[in-house]
Parts: sequence; structure tokens; C-alpha cells
Amino acid sequence: MVSLFSVVLTFIAIILIPGLFISRRLSVPFSIRNILRFIKLAASQNDDEEERNEKRGTMGEKEKRGGLPKHVAIILDGNRRWAQKRGVGTSDGHKAGARRVIENAKDCFAMGINTVSLFAFSTENWARPEDEVNGLMSLFEENFRSELPFFQRDKIKISVIGNRTKIPQSLLGLIRETEEATKSYEGKHLILAIDYSGKFDILQACKSLAEKAKNGVIQVEDIDESVIDKELMTNCSEFPNPDLLIRTSGEQRISNFFLWQSAYTELYFPNVLWPDFGEAEYLQALTWYQQRLRRFGRRV
Amino acid sequence: MDFNDPMLALSSWIGQIGDFGLDLVWRFIHIVVTLWHIVSGIFESVESYAISLGLIQKYSSIDIEKLKCLAVVVDIEAARDVSKVIELLQWLTTIGVKQVGLFDSQGLLKKSKDMILEMVPRSVLLQETGEKHISPDRIALEFISSSDNKEAVVKAANILLEKYLKSIHPENGVGENVFTESHLNEALRVVGESVHVPDLLLVYGPVRSHLGFPAWRLRYTEIVHMGSLKYMRYGSLLKAIHKFTGVRQNYGV
Repeated sequence: MVSLFSVVLTFIAIILIPGLFISRRLSVPFSIRNILRFIKLAASQNDDEEERNEKRGTMGEKEKRGGLPKHVAIILDGNRRWAQKRGVGTSDGHKAGARRVIENAKDCFAMGINTVSLFAFSTENWARPEDEVNGLMSLFEENFRSELPFFQRDKIKISVIGNRTKIPQSLLGLIRETEEATKSYEGKHLILAIDYSGKFDILQACKSLAEKAKNGVIQVEDIDESVIDKELMTNCSEFPNPDLLIRTSGEQRISNFFLWQSAYTELYFPNVLWPDFGEAEYLQALTWYQQRLRRFGRRV
Repeated sequence: MDFNDPMLALSSWIGQIGDFGLDLVWRFIHIVVTLWHIVSGIFESVESYAISLGLIQKYSSIDIEKLKCLAVVVDIEAARDVSKVIELLQWLTTIGVKQVGLFDSQGLLKKSKDMILEMVPRSVLLQETGEKHISPDRIALEFISSSDNKEAVVKAANILLEKYLKSIHPENGVGENVFTESHLNEALRVVGESVHVPDLLLVYGPVRSHLGFPAWRLRYTEIVHMGSLKYMRYGSLLKAIHKFTGVRQNYGV
């Protein structure tokens, strides 16, 4: 009886009290999952502590600790693997991914991020099975239709970047309608990259400059990096270069997304699949970002 | 009223004790997490040494053929310590890597090119041999900096623009379509740039970013952050390369 009592007390001391404390402190629901996430977060902060100490020792300079990123770019990877793990169809995986897009956009803007870019469909994705591609186009249409009231209510500007020549007319119409309806909003910008390729972005910028040079608007010798920057598709954004790029599902590549724009972007590759990337994972990414020292290639 | 005052004092006292207790628990959790981090760091170091000594079977044989081109990005502070870069290249030579691109944003490694080529056994300059003619017993090195990134694309773009403007038909005002990937690749070669895409990019430094590595070459490159160059470990390098050889890309399909 005494030993049972001491076991119960130990359980309370080790598990329940810290759990309640963490829940209270972080204002998250009390669950083992959230507690484990918190522990991982604290451990990753220790990892960064080591890098900071090393940097102080070699450079002797004060750290620059950034605030929140202005522009977060996300490669939404892992829908199909998520579906496979659960024994459901690929289309269900993409639907779950689409729901996560809206939820994460809400979280991002609630945390004060100005611009969120989502790599929804790459040029290479056209090579996927026809029914999957058609399913994705239908999903985009459905979401543009259903979420427009939300974008208008929360004053979120929507921009779609990419090569529009292959996109079905019905979807194109909805894209134009959504962009037109939200073009005047400021402070919150959601950029959807559909049929986007980083290489295509650079080439279309060159082509656009060629037309301007042909029309005498610009001289060839005046073309430099900043001129090309302004011709890229991300010129629709106040913050065209992402501060943080997240690719879910553990793959460690940028796969033709924002090649030009990501020179000094912090790259974050969590293992979680996109439909499972929730608020806690997003907080973890932002905390990780805040620990970084960004020097933009220069000596500080 | 008299009854409320002691009650208020008691509840305040209980609140303070509670906060103190929770604070202790918070610190206890920090100790636990710190210990966990120390243990995992020790485990990683031990694993790294075990890999270096060849004690872990799976790292003994690596399918290095899959790694045709490796790129190494070095933070500018780390790039000042050329001896560590040379040591890294010697390790890569031992592992059997045939082609390595060395990048730092300011071009410090480019300036130390001759010394690096002299100190790394069997190393040659990639520009001299070309990608297809590297001897099996050699390692070809390429030195890259930020000027090979956007500046090079601007120069290549200018070549394409000139070509386009010259090709415009007076009748219809339409020029040749020179704005394709292959045209830009060709233009980049004309300005002296390589367009070869590295399979794996190792980033050494405090920042998890490719620091301006030539964007045109990064489409499907695996990017791995290796930490500080000063504390680099052979075992970690081997582990990163081994992990890469197990990666399966579907290229968006």
C-alpha cells in the first residue's frame, strides 16, 4: 500500500506537474504530444546555444538575433506518403494537405508574418498521372471558390505565380477573380505557386527584359541583378526574398523553388509530412529561425 | 471582512509557493533536457569515431558512383582557415569523391586556389580537365564565389538579349525564342561558368543556407548542413554521404 502510494506520488511529480506547468505556460492543451514537442524544442535551443557560444569565441561580436521572418516560403511535400501511411487514396492526401494550407496560413498571419508563399504545384508535377493532376486542379478550384470569403474577411491578398498557359480555363478564371477581389489588401499576402519553376522564373524575367529592350524602355547595358529582381514573379510581393524556407517530409532539396530568391534564405527541413504540419511544428520552425545568425554573406 | 483578509493572504501565499514549486520543476526539466542533449552529443561523437574507425559495417562501403559531383559551401569566417578546407578535401579524396565545387561568397578560396591544389594530393582544376576527362585517381576541384551566381546569370542574360534583338524580323517584329534552359546553359558556358548540377551540397558554418551558391545549378541538389568547419568530423562526413546515396528522388513526378 505504501509502495503503491509512493509510485502514484512519483508519477504525479514527474509527469503530471511538469505537464500542467508546460500547458499553463504555453497555453496549449495538456497532452503527451505537446509535452514531447516542448522537450524537443528545448533540446534544439540547446543545440543552437552551442553554435552561438562557438561564434562568440571566434568572432567576439554581439549576436544579431532576428525577430520573426517577414516572408516564409513552404514546399508542401508529403501528401502522397501521408495517404499511403493511412491506407487512403492519393486524392485524400491532397485534400488533407489543402486543409492544412488554410490552417497554416491563418496561423502564419496570426503570428505576424507578412508574406507566405506556398509551392503548391511545380512544372515537373505535370508528369504525374493524369487523374492525379486533374484531381489537383479540381481541388484548387474548389478551394479558391470556398475560401474567397475567408480571404476577404481576413483581408488577405492572394497572388498566384507560375506559368499559366497549361492551367484549365475554369481555374484561371477563379484565380483572376480571387486576385482582383483581394488586390487592395495589405499586410497579409498569400502567394500560391502553381506550375512554377525557379528556372522558368529567371527565363521569363530575361524575356520580359528583352521586350523592354526591344521597345527602348531599357538599354541592355543597364541590366543588372536588381533589374532582374524586379522582373521575377515575386515582384508582386513587398518582401520578394523569403527569410525562411520550410520543406516538409524530410527531403533536403529546394526542387526548383525560388532558386534566385533563396540565396540567403534559412532552410528548414522537418521530417513531418505536410498534412501533419500544424501549429506546434510551425512554432518550432519559427523558434529555430529566431536562433539563427544571418549575415547575408558578409562579415559582421 | 476580517475573515477575508487572512484568506487573501493565504491564497497569495499558496500562489507564491505554487509558482516557486513550478519554477523548480521548470529548472528540473531544463537539467533533464540539457543532460539529454549532452548524452546525445556524446553518442554522436562516439558514433562518428566508430564510423571513422570502420567499426560500423554499413559505412564501410559507400556507393560513391552515385555522387558524381559534390559541392561544399563554406562560411566566410571558416574560409579564412584554409588548412581545414584542405583537410576536408583530403578526406573527400580518401572517400573517393571525384569532383568537388568549393564555394564561399567572397571568393577567399579562389584566392587560395594554388595553395589548395598544391596541398591536396592528386587534385586538378576542373576547368583544365573538363567534367568528362577526370582520371580515376584524381579529384577535380572547382572554385566558386558569388560572382558566379547572379552576376554570371546577368552576363548570360545579356548575351541572350543581344541574340534576341539581332534576330528580330523587321516585318513582324518577332525574334527567335532564345529564352530556354538550354540557351541559358550555353550562354553561361560562354561566360565561363559551369552548369553542372551538384548532387549533394554540404554547408559548413553557423547558418543553414546555401549562402548564394549559383542558383541555376541547385534545382535537385540535396542540401545538408554539417555544422562548424572547425569541429568537422570524418564520421559525420561519411554519414552524410552515405545518407545521400540512400536518397530516392522522384523529381516532382
